[in-house]
Amino acid sequence: MSVLRRLRRRRMALGVVSLLCLLAGGCGSPPPDAAALLRQTSAHMNAVRGFHFTLAIQGAPPAAIPVQSAEGDAHPPDLTTRVELAQNGVLLEVNVIVLGSHVYLKSFTGGWQELTPAEVAQFFDVHALFDPTRGLFSAMAKTTQVTRGGQQTLNGHPTWTVSGRLEAAQVHDLLSVARSEGSYQTTYWIEPPATLWRATLSGRLFDPTLEATITFDFSKHDQPVTITAPPLG
Amino acid sequence: MTNPSRSPRLRSADSPALLALAAAGLFVAALDAYVVVAALLPMLTAAQVPVNHLERATPVVTGFLLGYLAVMPIAGPLSDRFGRLRVFAIFLVAFALGSLVTATASSLSQIVAGRVLQGAGGGALVPVVLALVADLYTGRSRATALGAVSGLQEVGSVLGPLWGGVLAATSQGGWRWIFWINVLFAGGLLWALWPGIRQRPVGVTAAPLDGIGALLAALALALLTLALYAQDPEHSPVGSGFWWQAPAAVVLLILFVWRERRAPAPLIDVRHFRDTGFTGAALVNGLAGAGLMVALVFIPVLAESPVFSMNPRQAALLLLRLMLGIPVGALLGGLVAGRLRSNRGIAAIGMLIAAFAFAMLAGWGQDALRPHFLGTPLRIADVELFAAGLGLGLEIAPVSAALLDLVSEAERGAGAAFLIVMRLCGMLVGFSAVAGFGLYHFNRVTAQLTPPLFSLRPDYGLRLAQYELQLRQAIFDEYHTIFTIAAALVLCGALIAAATLRPPRSSL
Repeated sequence: MSVLRRLRRRRMALGVVSLLCLLAGGCGSPPPDAAALLRQTSAHMNAVRGFHFTLAIQGAPPAAIPVQSAEGDAHPPDLTTRVELAQNGVLLEVNVIVLGSHVYLKSFTGGWQELTPAEVAQFFDVHALFDPTRGLFSAMAKTTQVTRGGQQTLNGHPTWTVSGRLEAAQVHDLLSVARSEGSYQTTYWIEPPATLWRATLSGRLFDPTLEATITFDFSKHDQPVTITAPPLG
Repeated sequence: MTNPSRSPRLRSADSPALLALAAAGLFVAALDAYVVVAALLPMLTAAQVPVNHLERATPVVTGFLLGYLAVMPIAGPLSDRFGRLRVFAIFLVAFALGSLVTATASSLSQIVAGRVLQGAGGGALVPVVLALVADLYTGRSRATALGAVSGLQEVGSVLGPLWGGVLAATSQGGWRWIFWINVLFAGGLLWALWPGIRQRPVGVTAAPLDGIGALLAALALALLTLALYAQDPEHSPVGSGFWWQAPAAVVLLILFVWRERRAPAPLIDVRHFRDTGFTGAALVNGLAGAGLMVALVFIPVLAESPVFSMNPRQAALLLLRLMLGIPVGALLGGLVAGRLRSNRGIAAIGMLIAAFAFAMLAGWGQDALRPHFLGTPLRIADVELFAAGLGLGLEIAPVSAALLDLVSEAERGAGAAFLIVMRLCGMLVGFSAVAGFGLYHFNRVTAQLTPPLFSLRPDYGLRLAQYELQLRQAIFDEYHTIFTIAAALVLCGALIAAATLRPPRSSL
């Protein structure tokens, strides 16, 4: 009985939505449920075996957060990336490869070196970034106050924007330099059924007086990525 | 004759006023040729290029030169055909568009695209104005006039790095003003020249233009530049496609020569190359260009590197010592070569002075910019830089005169353009090769030099200081290599000048 009623209610809701769509001049597909879309995307992205990513940080105090941007390919949990650091107003590039439990660094000059776990730990846990249980994509599913925004075409992809908030403590677990009090605003650009193209995180992430934004862009989903250990020395 | 002071806008084909306006355009194009050298690092930061990967910046320099070179051979003949002013105006518009693209750039590729277009626009202005000068003067007075115009162009070049450096030092995005101002200036100049541009040009010739030859030459140079571009200086001093690009460039060059021998209106009469005086002048010009470009780029980059940590304005002021020497040398060279009737001697002496100065520059260390111990405000570095500029300036007029004396009246426009083409070829090829080799050498020296990881351990500070010391040494090492090669190239130029150049032809 209740199932039938729920079904009927859903059908009615669908009818209203399609009527609204017709009135508005027609839209391609009915807007997805925001929370469900987030859950599906979270699960899907955790299952994607290879992708390209870029990361940009805006509004961070340069002394505390030298990272300006990063770009690379991931085959979670492995990844290879180049990272742009700002030091005294000049930009420097380092390369990082994460392969299993090994982390390799190629600094401003010189060749590749392997970092010890202790050395890695003083920066941040790079293994966690795309980890299926505690990484970025699983954090998506923990977004609260989820609201659906409008449709947007992002780099030629038809996406829905979904916004919400993430607990600062959660973000801090992933990125230890982020402050752990309160919550941060987050927005996702998702192409239905479950492809994430962009995610932003904003708020007073690093400094209680400075608004900062971290933007992740993803592309080439499920593109084969092979990561190999670099020649040391 | 109308009084030009009545209105800034040109009323008639008043040749001095016309020449002045055209020269103003040439001046700005010259200003722009080297304007980026001191502003390079802020531009790269805006385009997110890290300083430990300077090889990615090479196209900002080579792209401009390539654009310049691609149009230069055709600009002279085009102006013979369609009138100096009209061709001047069209390329001024291209220059302004290129400036607009660069001014609004947020990525390296957009900066490079803008610089190529700027080069193409600016490059055409030079031969057109030089041809205009060659129309008006002959004989010994031509050497002087060319010396003066070269001097004006060099004054533009002198002020270019300073202009760029001062604007770049004003704020983080200050370098964009360099290019916005170009847009405004080009607009004003077009407005002032408009009546002249509208006028039907006189004395034009309808000879066909060798587009195929120009295309072959441009393709050959583009391929050679690509071949020499060391994208990965960690592993190779040249480009990854060098093994096929360099031979292909040579093949295209051979095709170009073959084409020029058959074309009804060749860009350059290749039979001139049988004359050692002609070939010698062309080579000297190219080698001087190579030396100049190396100094122009690497002195500011060294000054702004961690070893001297100057800002763009300070780096430009340092380079100004060299830049000031050039017009002084150019005027002096024009006057003395004409007076003494010796192209060979003056050019060879100029190149010799420059070679010696480059060898001295190669020996720079941490103390190079400290005040001299004799207590004078002048440092040895100042003298070295000025001498390098003076030497490179001295050869300009005698080498130009030696070559232009060997071509017919009708070929003067093409001859003047050819001289600059050779200079720019030297700049392009010399800079590409030296930059690739220098960066490769730097990577070899620092292959084992890794910075210490940040830690709270007490020895971190000491290890960091050690690293910085070694890094400085590696940077000086790189510059030693770069300037030693440049000195050797310029010395070759001195020998060629001494062996081949002819005295001025007796004039009227």
